[in-house]
Amino acid sequence: MTKSVLLSTMMLQMKQSFARPMFQFCLIVNPVLNTILLYEMFRNSGKTNFAAYVILGAGLMALWGCICFSSAGDINRERFSGTLALIFAAPAGFQAIVLGKILGNTLLSLGSLLISLATAAVLYRVPLSLADPGYFAVALIGMIGSFVVVSIAIAYLLTLSRRTTLYMNCIEIPFILLGGMAFPVELLPAWVQVFSRCLAPTWAVELLRMSVDGVSDTALFWNKFAVMCALSAVLALLSMGLYQVIDRAVRIRASLEVF
Amino acid sequence: MIKSFLSQAWLYQKARTAAFDWREFLFLDAGYPVMTLVFYCLLAAYSFQTTDLTQWVIGNSFLMCVNTCIFGLGSMLRAERYSGRLRSIIAAPCNLLSVVLSCGLFPSLLAMGAVVFGFLVGSVLFGVSFSGVQIGLTLAVIFCAMVCASCFGLLLSVFGLLSDSMHLILNMMNYILMIFTGAEFPVSQLPAAAQIVSSLLPLTRSIQAMNLLFGNGDGNIYILLLEELGMGAIYVLLAVSILKYAENACRKAGKFDLF
Repeated sequence: MTKSVLLSTMMLQMKQSFARPMFQFCLIVNPVLNTILLYEMFRNSGKTNFAAYVILGAGLMALWGCICFSSAGDINRERFSGTLALIFAAPAGFQAIVLGKILGNTLLSLGSLLISLATAAVLYRVPLSLADPGYFAVALIGMIGSFVVVSIAIAYLLTLSRRTTLYMNCIEIPFILLGGMAFPVELLPAWVQVFSRCLAPTWAVELLRMSVDGVSDTALFWNKFAVMCALSAVLALLSMGLYQVIDRAVRIRASLEVF
Repeated sequence: MIKSFLSQAWLYQKARTAAFDWREFLFLDAGYPVMTLVFYCLLAAYSFQTTDLTQWVIGNSFLMCVNTCIFGLGSMLRAERYSGRLRSIIAAPCNLLSVVLSCGLFPSLLAMGAVVFGFLVGSVLFGVSFSGVQIGLTLAVIFCAMVCASCFGLLLSVFGLLSDSMHLILNMMNYILMIFTGAEFPVSQLPAAAQIVSSLLPLTRSIQAMNLLFGNGDGNIYILLLEELGMGAIYVLLAVSILKYAENACRKAGKFDLF
């Protein structure tokens, strides 16, 4: 049953998300504009692999934007349309429905990486050459997993809040900054890097860059992959615990539909 | 007439800030623009391989007005529709231009404050020195920039009568300003056709003038400021023309209050 709930929620979510003009902006327009902006900023950087920063950076920034304004915002949309309490109390399980929504959004949002790639190729004739496609595939799967886990945690947290719009606007840039999506986290002050290193997507982004440049140290790649998986697992466990707390709080307060 | 203009401006400002929430102010109005400034300055430090971030602090400080001038003013008529006042404004015998202009008065002043705040944050975090810079001229540049940006925001707000996708339009405009105004990279990097687009946008000349004050680039500050004010006047004239067209279209279609 959970499998069919997941699949049907994913399909429905993809259709609903794509119908919204703002999601279309995040998915289609944002990666194009981000690619132009980053390309112009990096074109005189003198870096040999600047395409990796431009294409991956723009794609990842757009991907995170889609997740922010959809996965996080969907709780608010359900609240406004009066269906939040229904999906919360549904026998299919709120967790399965939220997971289905986030998986649907994340898979659809991956299109932003392709759009970023296409923009760089068409406008600037800059192809993305993958040194290690196999490692890239592994890193991409890891990245999807880590983004899904983070999105679930955020979605659960926002279930309690009535300021979803405020918070989803506020987490976009800090997460891009901490995740090192546009530049390496080593550029940040040491105390900020501690927070960066606690985020699984930071490691996923590093793995993606390593695979694009070419993995010269496979042990390092797998070590980073293990750290990313461990951090994702810890966050997933925390999210499950968080859900129990939120489930209880929501039932006691009975304020799920208040906005 | 001036008293009525000022009272209308104050009324609009009171309406905008009546539901003041310190969290919204702290996270969205103050925190988000500062975080964006920090992000793009660090990105510039990495991509341009420089430690002198004066140009980016200037550019991104000017872009801090986007929240007020573009998103705030741009969604003005849309907000009036939501609050049910649009019909009264359109049907009122008073001059529509004065109503529209009065709405821009306080947001322009607030935007000036935001830009000054951006300069302070930039000088503290990135060591940009203001010693030797003429304060009077600096304030004049900020004033002209904010007047022009507010007029541009008013022009965008008119599209709220014609389109139901203002979020999309305003978000796209945010990126367009980042790409074309010279805030993130020199306008001279853009192709000739794109430089024409730059010259039609607000802030381009103000950013150039402010860079001149800091000793970067060529040009005459006074001419740039006059041009910036001239562009502001053109935006207002365009806004009035489109408003008249939109007003007629709304009257004929009877769709003032349709969402």
